[in-house]
Amino acid sequence: MDATVEMYVAQGIHGVAYGMMLFLIAAGLTLIFGMMGILNLAHAAFFMLSTYFAFQTAAWTGGSFWAALIVAPIITGLVGVLVERFILRKVAATGLANQLLVTQGGAFVIIGLVMLIWGTEYQSFPPPDCLSGLVNIAGMQYPAYRLFMIGISFSLLLFLSFILYRTRLGMIVRAAVSDAEMVDALGVNVPIVFMAVFGIGTWMAGLAGVVIAPVVSVHPYLGDSVGMDAFVVVITGGFGSLGGAFLVAMVLGLLNAYGIQFISQYAMVLTFAFMAIVLAFKPMGLFGERE
Amino acid sequence: MTNQMVKPALWAAGLILLTLYPHIFGIYFSNFFITFAIVALFAVSYNLLLGYTGLLSFGHAIFFAAGGYGTAIALTRIKGLPLIPAILIGVFSSIALALILCPIVARTRHAAFAMLHLAFNFILHTFILKLRHITGGEDGLAGFKIPPFTIPGIVSFQMTDPVQFYYFAVFVIGGCLWLAWFLTKTPFGQIMVGIRDNDMRVDYLGFRLVRTKAVAYILSAGFAGVAGSMSALFQGMISASEADIAHSFKAILATIVGGSSSFFGPIAGAGIFAILEELTTRFTQRVELVNGIVLILVIMYFPAGFIGLVRRIREKLLRRWSAVAAKEKTS
Repeated sequence: MDATVEMYVAQGIHGVAYGMMLFLIAAGLTLIFGMMGILNLAHAAFFMLSTYFAFQTAAWTGGSFWAALIVAPIITGLVGVLVERFILRKVAATGLANQLLVTQGGAFVIIGLVMLIWGTEYQSFPPPDCLSGLVNIAGMQYPAYRLFMIGISFSLLLFLSFILYRTRLGMIVRAAVSDAEMVDALGVNVPIVFMAVFGIGTWMAGLAGVVIAPVVSVHPYLGDSVGMDAFVVVITGGFGSLGGAFLVAMVLGLLNAYGIQFISQYAMVLTFAFMAIVLAFKPMGLFGERE
Repeated sequence: MTNQMVKPALWAAGLILLTLYPHIFGIYFSNFFITFAIVALFAVSYNLLLGYTGLLSFGHAIFFAAGGYGTAIALTRIKGLPLIPAILIGVFSSIALALILCPIVARTRHAAFAMLHLAFNFILHTFILKLRHITGGEDGLAGFKIPPFTIPGIVSFQMTDPVQFYYFAVFVIGGCLWLAWFLTKTPFGQIMVGIRDNDMRVDYLGFRLVRTKAVAYILSAGFAGVAGSMSALFQGMISASEADIAHSFKAILATIVGGSSSFFGPIAGAGIFAILEELTTRFTQRVELVNGIVLILVIMYFPAGFIGLVRRIREKLLRRWSAVAAKEKTS
């Protein structure tokens, strides 16, 4: 096949894979915001923390990717639950500025602890052998691991929509997004639901961390650029909107992939230019509702 | 003694202490004081947004960096540029940046305002790292000549001399702090507070909400620019780390820990952090970890900051004194 077409397709796959990852992170973020009204600035730090948990689990189990994929996100989710229970719950009522600041403080503490325990060197976390090669589909070569990334994100997307739209928990969550007080008055234990949502959100960030770890190198500032992109997704898609987050994550993933191909120096500016243009016309984001 | 006599006496004592300071404590501590004063001005400029207008920004370092890089680039490129124009170029580049951002940010608030500034901070930091031929990339700009401060035919101060620079810095930063304080006492300052407390009502009262916010934003940027410019002159260099998001948090931390409800809170916070940093860097390299823990603890247990603590203690003491005085009267 033509080399140019091949380049376009390969970059497209990179873009979709990155967009899916962004969506995994942003979905947790936007769900937590929509429901609890908390913009969790430590979200990207949880994502970074999970890559270290994965690295450590793999080191202990003799390099097992699958063990890390199961264990690391769960531990990250548990850490998230503890943070919600003992710090956020106290601060949540005292206003937006305090929430933002305390979660940013949490991010600093996580990054600081990671550097204290694992040091600042780059660590590598290789993909499993069965996924490290190339696959041949219709005469074109695809890296198997990227396809795996797309596959796992897509199945998580289906799983999440199933929970949100087909289960009782999902119903409560959707109701609490629109009016938490009313749900509380109807006899649902909203604090427990909040804790569960926060745990699931950080678990998803953790999963994204483990899945993305083999294609990047693991280091303490990993969360910074990815986290920034995830925030752009949440803001541009509209706070609390899952559909908006999905759409914008895909656009950003593709912008990023083709941007690196054509104007590598300033690829990241595209992301913010896109956000600035959207916000200039729709200050609440694409699918955000007016306050 | 009446209150009217105490205040001028305190001011006079403070001024005398400031004048004699470098001669009593030596060069090391006068440099320590300048570092503190720069952070204090940076934090006060930040508090014009957070404490007075109620706008939470996560990217105030962009204005600090604009001021610093403006002055540094001007001194590198223009031969024989005098001191005051160099500082003014820094301040005006910071104000120009605020003018560019104004139309986008002045209509947003709360989370969107905060996150937009996080994004701007990120963009500016990346540009500074990438535009190596202008900004010097990661290493920043250094080695530019710092011109003397001359009033032609009258006097000339060598800025390379630490003591003379100390007086110049105290004069400039003190002047800016006074100007910022004066601003908060004007009717305009009162409208800023009104926007913080209830922006809808200010809007209904007929004040121009967006323009007032924009003016407060530009003024705040200007003061941050002065801080950045003074920092570039003081250190003789400016590097990309001063445009970092972590540097934005320096202003936020000083403001929160000192207390954003008072004009003097950020100054107290800057002092606390200057001392804390001086002490912690002796034991640990992990300044970030310490800062994070301090931030969480302060917000959880002392949300009003240092100034709030002082107020509470003063109230308790006053109540006890008045109780004692009342007892003496009755007995």
